[in-house]
Amino acid sequence: MTTAIGGEAEVYAELEAEPRRAASPTGRTLRRLLRKKLAVACLVVIAIFYAAGIFAPLLAPHGYSEQNLDLSFSGPSVDHPFGTDRLGRDMLSRNMYAARTTVVVTLATVLAGGFVLPLGLGLLAGYRPGAIDWAINRAGEVLSSLPALPMLLLINASLRTRFVDLVSWFEDRIHYHGLTSSGFADYFLIFSALSLFGWVGGMRLIRTQVLTLRSAEYVLAAEASGAGTWRIISRHLLPNVMPLVLVGVSASLGAVAGSEIALTFLGVGIQPPHPSFGALITDGASRTVLENHPQLLLVPASIVASLIFAFNLLGDALNDVITPGAR
Amino acid sequence: MSSKLTIAAGAVAAGLIIVLAVVLILVVGGGGGGDKGSATGDTRTPTTSPADNGPAGSGELRLRGPDPLVLDPAVAQDADSATYIVEIFSGLVRLDRDLKVQPDLAASWDVSPDGKTYTFHLNPKATFHDGRPVTAEDIKYSFQRALAPETASVVAENFLGDIAGAKDVSRGRATEISGLKVIDDQTISLTLDQPKAYFLYKLTYPTAFVVDQRQIQANPKRWTQKPNGTGPFKLKEWRLGERIVLEAYNNNVLGAPKLQKITFELQGGSALVDYQDGNIDATGVGLDDLQRVQDPSDKLHAEYQQAPRMSIDYIGFNTTTKPFDDPKVRQAFAMAVDRQKIAEVVLQGAAPIANGILMPGVPGHTDDDKTLPYDPARAKQLLSESKYGSDIGQVTLALSGAGATAGPYDEALVQMWRDNLGVDVQIQQAESGTFFQDIDQGRYQMFHIGWIMDYPDPEDVLDVLFYSKSRQNSTRYTNPEIDAKLERARVEQDTEKRLTIYRDVEKQLLNDAAWIPMFFDTAHVLVKPYVKNFVVPPLVVERYRDVEVTR
Amino acid sequence: MDGLAAYVVRRLLFLPVTLLIVSFATFCITRWGPGDPISVYSGQYRDPEAFERVRHQYGLDRSIPEQYGIWLKDVVLHGDFGPSFRFRDRDIPEIIGPKIWVSFRLSIYAFFLTFLIGIPIGVIAAVKQGSWLDPFLISVFLFFQSVPALVTVPIMVLIFAAKLHWLPPGGFDGMFSTSMVIPTLALSLPGIAGIARLARATTLGTLGADFVRTARAKGIAEFDVITRHVVRNSVVPVMTTVVGLSLVGLIEGALFTETLLGINGIGRFAFESVNTRDYNVVLAIVLLGATAFVFANLLVDLALVVVDPRIRAGRPQ
Repeated sequence: MTTAIGGEAEVYAELEAEPRRAASPTGRTLRRLLRKKLAVACLVVIAIFYAAGIFAPLLAPHGYSEQNLDLSFSGPSVDHPFGTDRLGRDMLSRNMYAARTTVVVTLATVLAGGFVLPLGLGLLAGYRPGAIDWAINRAGEVLSSLPALPMLLLINASLRTRFVDLVSWFEDRIHYHGLTSSGFADYFLIFSALSLFGWVGGMRLIRTQVLTLRSAEYVLAAEASGAGTWRIISRHLLPNVMPLVLVGVSASLGAVAGSEIALTFLGVGIQPPHPSFGALITDGASRTVLENHPQLLLVPASIVASLIFAFNLLGDALNDVITPGAR
Repeated sequence: MSSKLTIAAGAVAAGLIIVLAVVLILVVGGGGGGDKGSATGDTRTPTTSPADNGPAGSGELRLRGPDPLVLDPAVAQDADSATYIVEIFSGLVRLDRDLKVQPDLAASWDVSPDGKTYTFHLNPKATFHDGRPVTAEDIKYSFQRALAPETASVVAENFLGDIAGAKDVSRGRATEISGLKVIDDQTISLTLDQPKAYFLYKLTYPTAFVVDQRQIQANPKRWTQKPNGTGPFKLKEWRLGERIVLEAYNNNVLGAPKLQKITFELQGGSALVDYQDGNIDATGVGLDDLQRVQDPSDKLHAEYQQAPRMSIDYIGFNTTTKPFDDPKVRQAFAMAVDRQKIAEVVLQGAAPIANGILMPGVPGHTDDDKTLPYDPARAKQLLSESKYGSDIGQVTLALSGAGATAGPYDEALVQMWRDNLGVDVQIQQAESGTFFQDIDQGRYQMFHIGWIMDYPDPEDVLDVLFYSKSRQNSTRYTNPEIDAKLERARVEQDTEKRLTIYRDVEKQLLNDAAWIPMFFDTAHVLVKPYVKNFVVPPLVVERYRDVEVTR
Repeated sequence: MDGLAAYVVRRLLFLPVTLLIVSFATFCITRWGPGDPISVYSGQYRDPEAFERVRHQYGLDRSIPEQYGIWLKDVVLHGDFGPSFRFRDRDIPEIIGPKIWVSFRLSIYAFFLTFLIGIPIGVIAAVKQGSWLDPFLISVFLFFQSVPALVTVPIMVLIFAAKLHWLPPGGFDGMFSTSMVIPTLALSLPGIAGIARLARATTLGTLGADFVRTARAKGIAEFDVITRHVVRNSVVPVMTTVVGLSLVGLIEGALFTETLLGINGIGRFAFESVNTRDYNVVLAIVLLGATAFVFANLLVDLALVVVDPRIRAGRPQ
C-alpha cells in the first residue's frame, strides 16, 4: 500500500453516511465490483495467470532449465511454440514457470505483512491519538526517510547469507527443502525488508481515514455503550477501512510483480536458475538479442505487463466502486 | 474555503522552493560538475626543447573510457584507473608491444653476478611534465611512499616487496628501504632478498612508477587532479564521471607522442552506436554485437580487430572440502564439460578455449592442448571410482554477479554436469563485494572466476595461485612436490631451465584438476580506418604514444 | 495560526533526531555486514595482512560505536563526511554533487512532464466521465505504468537510437540536448497514470460540489467553470499528496534508467557504492535523502492539515 489512492474526501463522505448495516462494506464492494465488466475481465486475466503459474509443473511441456544447445535461438515450432532462448530452453515453459515465481512472490509479500502492517498500525495510530500516534508517525518518518533501494541492497548484502542459513536450518528440521530451492527464502527477506520500509504510505492513508471515522456517530455510540478499543476497531473501524485496503493491496500486488523484475535485474531478487520475469526480460533486453529475436523480450514483457495492468485496472475499478459520484 | 486552499498552495510552492534550495546548498559544494583542478603550485610551464625529442604530434583520438577511481599509481589497483595511470606516469622500465622489458626512465641497467642487485642508470632526458629532471631521489621517494603505511596501498608490498628491507617499511618498522641505495643523481641500485628473475617485470607495474615529491608534499590531498607525472601524456581535464582529456607531453624521455590529444568519454549509452555515428574513433565490441562484426559481409567487418589478452576464465575447486578434496571428483567434473560447445553456442567464438593455464604471450606457453579432454564416459567412471562414489552430496557453483542471470555460460555448465554425471549442481550468485572474501575463507566448493596477469611471467599465475603458502591460493591447493619446484623456479637464472620447470608444474596441475581452465580472453575492437597503429596490448600498459589519427 | 507554527517547530526539532537515528542505523547495517571497502577494492590480489594494515590506517578496525563517534564529530564540527574508500582523492560532496545534479535535472523534466500531462488528462477524464474517453485515457496511461522501465528503455533505445538515429543511445549532454528525451519519457510515463487518476478522482468530487453548481447557476461558461474552479481545487490535494514522494525520488535518482542509458546519476552511484561498500558515500547519500524526505513530509502534512480541518480537530468534546 505504498501508492496514494486518492479521493479521500469522497470515501469519508460515503462511509460516514452509511453506518454499519447488516451486509459488510467489503461484501457490498465486491458485489458492486463484479457488476463492472472491466473488473471481471481483470479478475479473469489474473486468474488465468495464477492458474498457469500454480499448475506450471503439470502444464509446461518442458522443464524450465532443459537446455539443448543445438537449438539455440530457434523460432516458434510445434515443439516450442514460443521458440527457444540462447541455451535452447523452451520459452513457453520458462514463461509458465516465471509466472509461478510471480505467484510465489506475490504471496510472499502478503505474508510478509505488505498489508497487515499498514493496516494494523494505521488503525492503531488513527484511533489512539497521543503518544502512540506520535510514536508510530515518527517511526514511520524515520523508516521511510531511508532511501529504499540502497537500504534494500545493504540489508540484502548484510543479512542474506545468514537468513538463508537460518531457513535451511529450519528446513532441515521439517525435512522440506522447497523453500530455499524455490527461491522463496531469498524473496521473503527482500519483501520483509520492503514492507519494513514501505508500510508508511498505507499507514498514513488508513490513519487519515480512521481519524475521520472516529467521530462518526456509530463509533461514538459504541463507545458510549462501553465497548472496548479492540471491539471498536475490529467491528466498526476495520470493516469500513477494508475497501481502502483492498484498493491498496490490488495496486501493490502489481507493484510487487514489477519490483521483482527490478530486483532481479539488480541481482537481489530471484537467483538463477529459477526463472522469473526479471530474468527473462533481462535476457531479452540486450540490444542484439532484441534486434534479432524480439520475441524473447516481448513475450515475457507482455505477459507481466498484462498482469500488472490487470491489477492496476482492478484497483482503479475498486476505487470507483467505493467512490460516490462515480458511475 | 478558497483562501485556505490558496494558502495551502502557496505553502506547497514555498516548500518546494525551500527543499530545492536546501538540496542545492548541500550540493553546491560539488557544484555542477567539473574538476577542482586548479590546486596550488603544481602547474608550471614546461621548459621546452622540442628539437631533442622530435616533432610534436597532432590529431585527436576520441574514445570511450572507464571511470578511474584514483590516479595515484601507488594506490591504484584496478584496471580502470590503470588505463590512465600508464599514460600519465611511468617507471624505470616498461613493457613494449611484445611484452619485453624495455628502458623507460632508466636508460640501462646492470645486474650483479649473484642476481640480487640491479643498478639502474637514469636517462638524463627523463623529465616530469613541468620540465624538472627526474633524479634517483625521486625514485627513492616514490618507492618509499608507495610502501609507507600512511599511503594505505594494498598492493605495494606485493610489487616492491622483493627489495630487501621493503617489508620493514610497509610494516612500519623503518622509513627507509635498506636495499635501495641512491648512488648519485642518475644512478640507483636495488638489492633483492633473493635473486628473482621476474623482478624487472614487477617494476613495470604502476606501483613502481615515479611521482613528484614536491607536488605531493605541497598538496597532499589533491595532487592527483593535475598530476605532475613522467609519462607520454599529461592530464589536461578530468570531469568526474564525464570526461577525461589527455594531452601529449612532447618532452617525454622516449619521444613525443604522435597524437596531440586523447578524449575519453566516461558515460553514455551504447558505444557501438556512438562509433557508428562517428563520435568515437575506436571501441570495444561486446558479446552481443560480436557475431555481426565478425561476419565478413557486414560493413563493420573491415574495421574489426582482435587481440589476445592475458587473462583466463576458469572454474576453481576448493581442494580441502567435500567432494573436491578427491582429485578423481575434480577430474570427473573437468572431463564432463564440453568447452567447445559452450564456446560456440554461448560465447559465439568470442574467446579461445584455454589449452592450459599459461596464456599465449606468457613465456612457457605452448600451443598443444594440455587440458583434460572432454570424455563423459570416463568422467562418469572416475566419479564412481572416487571415494564418494555416487554420494557426493550437495554441490554448489559460486559465481559473482549483480546481474539478473548467472549468465548462460554457467547454466550450460550445470546442464552438462547434470547430463553427463547425473549431479545436480546449484548455482549460487554471490555479491561481488564479498565474493573474493568468501573464496578466501573457503566458503565455496567450486567457483567461477578469472585471473588477469599483471606481468608476463608464469610466476604470476603458477606461483602466486598454487604455492601452498601463497595468500592468493584460492583453491587451497597443497602439494609439496610442486612447492619445491616453484621455489626452485623463482631463483633459477637460466631462462630455459626455468620455463621447463613451469611447464612441468602446469602439466601436473592440470592433471590433478586443481582448476578447469575454460577460456582465455580476447579483446575485440573496432577501429576507424583513419586511425593508425592502434594496438590493444594483452596487459594494461601504455599504448597510445604511437597512435596516429589522419582525419 | 499559533498551533500551526508550534507544530512546525516541533516537527523540525525532530529532524536532528531522525538524522541521528538514520545515520546510526545505516552505519551499523553497512559495517555489520560482510565485506568491507578495502577488501572489495583490492579485487584479485588478496593479502589479508596488507588489508589489516590499511584498515588500521583508516580506523576501520575500531569498534562500531567508536567509529560512529569519530564520524559524527567530523560531520557536525567540520562538515566532513569522511573519505570515500573508492575515490581516494576526492571529497564526498565533490563526488556526489555532480551526480545529484545530473539526476536532479533529469527528474525535474520528468516531474514537470508528469504533472503537465497527468493533471489535464485526469481532469478531462473526469469531465468526460460516461463517454469512452474516460476509461480509454486512463487505461492508456495505466498501461504505461504497467510496463517496467527495464522493457521500455531498451525498446526506445532500439527504435529511436539504433534504428532511426534520432536520439543518442544514452549519456547526458545537458539539459537541452536530445539525450534527455528517452530518460525523461521513461521516468515520467509510469507516473502519469497515478497523477491522472488522482486528478480525476478529486475533480469528480469537486464537480459535484456546491460552489461549482453555484458557478454554473450563475451562468459562467463551462470551460471557465472547469479551469478556474474545478482545476484549482483539484490540483492542490493532488499535489500535496504526491509532491512529497516525488521529491524524494529526485534524490534517489532513477537507478534503472541511469544504468541502462549509461547516465552518471546518483541512483546508479548509490547502487555501486553499496556494492563496493563505500561506507561514507552511502551514509552521505542516505542522509541527504532523509533530510529531503523529512522536509517534504512536513510540507505534505502541513498542507493536509490546512486543507482538511477534520484531520486537525481532535475528538469533539
